[in-house]
Amino acid sequence: MTHGIQRKHIEKWLLVATHLGSLFPLALFGWAALRGQLGFNPVETALRQSGRAAVALLILSLAVTPLRKIFNLNALHKLRKPLGLYAALYAGLHFAAFALWDYRLNLVLIWQEFLQKPYLLLGFGSLLILLILAVTSTRYWQVRLRSGWRWLQRAVYLAAVLALAHYLLAVKGDLLTLQGEYTRPLIAGAALLILFVLRVPLVYQTLQRWLRGQ
Amino acid sequence: MDEKIYSSAPVSPDEVTPKNIYMNRRKFLKGMGLVSLGALLASCAPALSPEGAIPEGFPTENLPDSLTAYEAITNYVNYYEFTTDKEGVAERAQNFITDPWSVEVGGLVENPHTFSMEEILANFAQEERIYRMRCVEGWSMVIPWLGFPLHKLLDEVKPTAEARYVLFESALVPDQMNAANSGMFPFPYLEGLRLDEAMHDLTLLATGLYNEPLPPQNGAPIRLVVPWKYGFKSSKSLARIALVPDQPPTLWNTVAPQEYGFYANVNPAVSHPRWSQTTERRIGEPGRRPTLFMNGYAEEVMHLYEGINLMVNY
Repeated sequence: MTHGIQRKHIEKWLLVATHLGSLFPLALFGWAALRGQLGFNPVETALRQSGRAAVALLILSLAVTPLRKIFNLNALHKLRKPLGLYAALYAGLHFAAFALWDYRLNLVLIWQEFLQKPYLLLGFGSLLILLILAVTSTRYWQVRLRSGWRWLQRAVYLAAVLALAHYLLAVKGDLLTLQGEYTRPLIAGAALLILFVLRVPLVYQTLQRWLRGQ
Repeated sequence: MDEKIYSSAPVSPDEVTPKNIYMNRRKFLKGMGLVSLGALLASCAPALSPEGAIPEGFPTENLPDSLTAYEAITNYVNYYEFTTDKEGVAERAQNFITDPWSVEVGGLVENPHTFSMEEILANFAQEERIYRMRCVEGWSMVIPWLGFPLHKLLDEVKPTAEARYVLFESALVPDQMNAANSGMFPFPYLEGLRLDEAMHDLTLLATGLYNEPLPPQNGAPIRLVVPWKYGFKSSKSLARIALVPDQPPTLWNTVAPQEYGFYANVNPAVSHPRWSQTTERRIGEPGRRPTLFMNGYAEEVMHLYEGINLMVNY
């Protein structure tokens, strides 16, 4: 009984920490904006910070299940959904900075850029998936879609791959020789790769067994 | 002052504007001899693909070119030997030693010579040139440079008949440049121009901006400025200039040739995989504005590219 209450307590605080942590980049941006400290190219700052936040939160949301399974940390399970929703929020803000702030919703110009720049399509694809998953994340859709819901939510992996490809193509440098600003996107890529490998049943089952055998 | 966006008249002492007044002259360049974009696009129609044209509904009339604030020019720069963080260069470059300094000019010339900065400042009259600066990353500025046309220096060393290109090598001082040894880029920073481009009167060796000596982050004590090309062609902190027979390897063209051509002329018709080349963000201004063909200097420089397909030779 006390154990159950204690666990609820931990879960509650983990959730509060997740909300605060997820909103922190937005608060930081708002604070800098109020103080006029967004730099000499504020649109660029907004694009960079929202994009980084979206990728980081997407990776964290994907990390929940592997961590929970391997380390038997069931208290984490309620964090997956808010982390995913915040990733969608930042992806949406990222797109808004591009389409509204930078391009003033000039659809002709935006269309022209989409035709010329594949990385924009990749990013847009990722955003669409995240938005669909956000909308269908409610209990209503979960019941309505039944077993299809779990399959649909797995599209988050595709969204992550598209987001990573978008990130790699968006930074300055040459992707083939990796000469350029590739540190952050490569860290994100390595994290995703590890998380994907950890989803392979044989891998996490072996890890589970090994950890419990200790 | 010449009624052009650039002024080739030497600046006399009484013309020198105090910086505080300078910074407030917001309408400084308004309507100064800008060629309308529409006329430009029409005049070079064969070289431009339809994709490169500015879509309807986007302003194409002459927009004012106000001077970019000194703070922005000196705190928002690309200088990868120090850091890739544009707003972090100024701090990291502040102790870069630029005095004493000399520029070695050699290669295919009759009079090779190493010029000390004192010599350069004493022998070449410094004049003010107000140029647009368009970065390949899709942002732009308007900068009042102080300097002299490169052809004056080249005339001194006399290129031989075999010289067809000019190579510019920037200083590489690893113990003063944080990122010089990061391995991210093959330094020293090399750039190049065709000899006729280098001899063009717009091509400047700049030693100052806003009537003050260049700060280290902007390429002190002497740098190249080629206003009709993307900013990366305008090498900073020049250590060596060499006249060469063949097109020299240049840094960005070596790193990613499909993205950065040797010519790197500002051209809204040639798209880049990452940044818009049709429009640009003018630093200090909200929204985007159309990018001008040859950065607005087509009238002055188009004769250099007669018979050249600029879509292929970008």
